[in-house]
Amino acid sequence: MSSDQVATGVINLSEGDSSLVNEIKELGGEELMECIQCAKCAAACPMVLAGFPFFNKRIIQAIFLGLRDALLDDSSIWACQSCNRCTEVCPREVNPFEIIQAMRRVAIREFALPTLSIEGLKSLYDTGHAVYLAGAGNTRAKVGLPEKPPSTVANPEALKELQAVIRKTALADLGIIPMDESGVKETCEV
Amino acid sequence: MKVGFFVGCNTAFNRPDLEQAVRYAFPALGIELDDLEGQSCCPSWGTMPSVDVVGWCAVGARNHTIAEEKGLDIVTVCGSCYGSLAESKYKMDTHPEIKAQVNEILKDIGREYKGTSNVRLAFYYLYHELGPDRIKEAVKYKLDGLTVALQPGCHTLWPSKVYYDKEEDPFHPRVLKEMCEALGATVGHYTRLIDCCGMGAMRSTDMEKSLKLVEKKLISMKNEVNPDLIVTGCSSCLIQFDTAQELLRSGKKINFEIPVLHIMQVLALCLGADPEKVTGLAKTDVSRVVNRILEG
Repeated sequence: MSSDQVATGVINLSEGDSSLVNEIKELGGEELMECIQCAKCAAACPMVLAGFPFFNKRIIQAIFLGLRDALLDDSSIWACQSCNRCTEVCPREVNPFEIIQAMRRVAIREFALPTLSIEGLKSLYDTGHAVYLAGAGNTRAKVGLPEKPPSTVANPEALKELQAVIRKTALADLGIIPMDESGVKETCEV
Repeated sequence: MKVGFFVGCNTAFNRPDLEQAVRYAFPALGIELDDLEGQSCCPSWGTMPSVDVVGWCAVGARNHTIAEEKGLDIVTVCGSCYGSLAESKYKMDTHPEIKAQVNEILKDIGREYKGTSNVRLAFYYLYHELGPDRIKEAVKYKLDGLTVALQPGCHTLWPSKVYYDKEEDPFHPRVLKEMCEALGATVGHYTRLIDCCGMGAMRSTDMEKSLKLVEKKLISMKNEVNPDLIVTGCSSCLIQFDTAQELLRSGKKINFEIPVLHIMQVLALCLGADPEKVTGLAKTDVSRVVNRILEG
């Protein structure tokens, strides 16, 4: 089922995937079933103003209907700003932001993640920073700062420590990025 | 007084003039900064938090332990760092099972997350620990005669339950306003004050839609306040407002330019910092407003 079909109101419920609800609950969206679709979250969501087809309320509705493919085919879940207005206003403590994050986790388990996220994860592993600009040494020097900030980029032992931590997480189990070889990335802006 | 400075990614690599502003302003106000050597990305939303809760918290916890070992709170100027670090702390502090799993991971690198350090946003820290009056006494230059429009930033406000530094009413934020007023500025109110600027995940996913949000905000600011300067509370908002205006002008969506600075840059200028070092990377033309500040 495509996002176009959903956006135009054509939903074939017999194609719904009932296992999606449990997956979301297991991946951090524990309060999913508390949602009564009141739309208070939608009234506060920047994605609505920007015009994304799926925003907090509609993502939750799509999960209830088991519309896994529609959510995976559309980029909306990756546009969430994690601003948490929705979490603040939700009268049922659903934490809609957590549901969107959980849906991203579902997508990642099906390798349906944007290239930028893969690059961000690789950059995080290689340098310790998801946003990394290889030419920043000059920019930093221009304002009188050392070429590298006092982070993992200036401290190989700290970077090794961080990589050891990441290798013990689900990211390693999922095999989304190569971890056997490490080299400083050129540039990454997630 | 001493705090740990969490510089993050965007400030360190994209806007190190903002990093310099923090490095100037804190000591000038009598607060020592520790570099939290070996810190990493917070990690930001599109990476570890989108993969797994425990992995997100483990990367965050490693950063927390660096501050904890030194007995320091963490201060940052980036909304994403503030949000991610505060949320990972909240998750570990309220879910013993998450904390236990994280500490199992950290054991291998000889670290343990205890939960003893707070995550603070730089200007809230100064507001709460020093107060606007002491800051007012310390500055050499003021913003007298300048009208500013504010961009507080989403992550500094919500979800209020996870933050140490918070607003009484996060939908009607006052701290950034009071800081600017203490520095002498006139702060104009505009309808879209708490709207999102569109930076971050939205800009990475769909630039056109992201620009639509910042365009709406800029037009609201221009029509309702006509500010000399936009003051942001977040480094990501700074980058968005500073870089989007040229794109919007070339796309004939706006026909004006408003200079943009982060509150820590404004404060550093008022305390006497070298403008080249603390504002030298701005894309909008800030020279006129900087000169007005320095000329009093």
